[in-house]
Amino acid sequence: MLITVDPADPRPLYVQIMDEIRRALVLGSLEPEEPLPSVRQLAAKLRLNPNTVQQAYRELEREGVVYVRRGLGTFAASREIDDGAERRQLAEAVAERALLDAHRNGLSADELVDTLRRLADDRGHDITPREGGRAAATRSLPTTKRGEP
Amino acid sequence: MSRFEDLLDMFEERPLAIATHGLERRFGRQTALAGLDLRVPEGAVYLLVGPNGAGKTTTLNCLLDLVPADRGRIEIFGLPVPERGPEARAQIGVVPDDPKTGYDGVAVERLFAYHARFYPSWDEAYARRLANALEVPTDRRFDKLSKGQARRAQLVLALAHRPRLLLLDEPTDGLDPLARDLALGLLADHLAAAPTTVLISTHLPYEVEGLADHLGVLRGGRLVTQLDRTALDRRLHRLLFQVPDGWSPPPALEEVVLRREGGGRELAWTLWGERDDLEALVQASGATLRAAEHPTLEQACRVLLALEDR
Repeated sequence: MLITVDPADPRPLYVQIMDEIRRALVLGSLEPEEPLPSVRQLAAKLRLNPNTVQQAYRELEREGVVYVRRGLGTFAASREIDDGAERRQLAEAVAERALLDAHRNGLSADELVDTLRRLADDRGHDITPREGGRAAATRSLPTTKRGEP
Repeated sequence: MSRFEDLLDMFEERPLAIATHGLERRFGRQTALAGLDLRVPEGAVYLLVGPNGAGKTTTLNCLLDLVPADRGRIEIFGLPVPERGPEARAQIGVVPDDPKTGYDGVAVERLFAYHARFYPSWDEAYARRLANALEVPTDRRFDKLSKGQARRAQLVLALAHRPRLLLLDEPTDGLDPLARDLALGLLADHLAAAPTTVLISTHLPYEVEGLADHLGVLRGGRLVTQLDRTALDRRLHRLLFQVPDGWSPPPALEEVVLRREGGGRELAWTLWGERDDLEALVQASGATLRAAEHPTLEQACRVLLALEDR
């Protein structure tokens, strides 16, 4: 599991940690009943105030995403019915960031959605990051795909 | 400064690790402290910033009773200093401004042993672990260490007796980027292991971005800002907005600007107030709000340090 935070991100640090844990659950890099790093480990690794990590874990516990076993640590919860709550919340967070970025650039929600749809169709299932963003991706179209000889 | 009076919080409801009341200190004609009311709540990681000569080091020296105050009072965990200074100092770990003072010719190892006798809570195994992680050459003479090595040795001395209060004066000064990062990781680990209050003075706020939860800005020997991070995040905002030609800001907005960037039709103003109120003011003025950001600690320090006395 990889957890990274960025002080320049508009989300508070504890929210970033919460989103990272959700991301790990959606990706499957954290599975139900698996332990999370201890508050101390994560604080030391990310150079964060332990209270910030504690706050993130407390909120996740309140939401039922993780649970605490006394003396053993914090574990990812296994949901009886996988209602996709994590996926939905994560999708909303990503969409909101995209919406805000569009507005910052003076673009409407419709323009954003149309463009997203078009780009996704062009790329098919090959949604991997490409160096240099759109311009580089356009340039590299006639050549071979990444990872191919 | 009436508009910004809520920039100063005295944390009256909270138990305090450090409280100074109207602290004053002059050096000849130079005023170092001019009525300092520093309040560091217990458990806080308090970042103290200020331009050179603002009184940061004098503040720390007064807390340690190395420099007597001309006027005012100091309490550390409720103990009056200097009256009960030794009791207070026994609970403090220090990384001093100049890490090389006072230990001429003594091997680092002996220095550790010397400290161990002063502090009953000295944890020898922890000292070894820290010295190892920070690559402190314990067999060498202290006065032969490089600046960075001496700083790292001081960090070990400060942490290894697990004091209730840490006073860190430029703790990463002279360290290379790798050692800095390592030191910050060890500090975060230390805080998670035992409840500790930290007062840290640094020119590099971004280094403690993730650690600091309180901010004090010192200027001309007194505090102009003292807040916890939650209050800072709630009230400090950078709004990006587009304005029509001939736009002029409403007085209510003009009142709360801390920093202006941009020009012409696109502006980015750093403002002081509740976000909803600020956004409403911007929108009511005929401007189009494009984005609302909350400044990083580094940006907040820059804005608050540049704030003129009003």
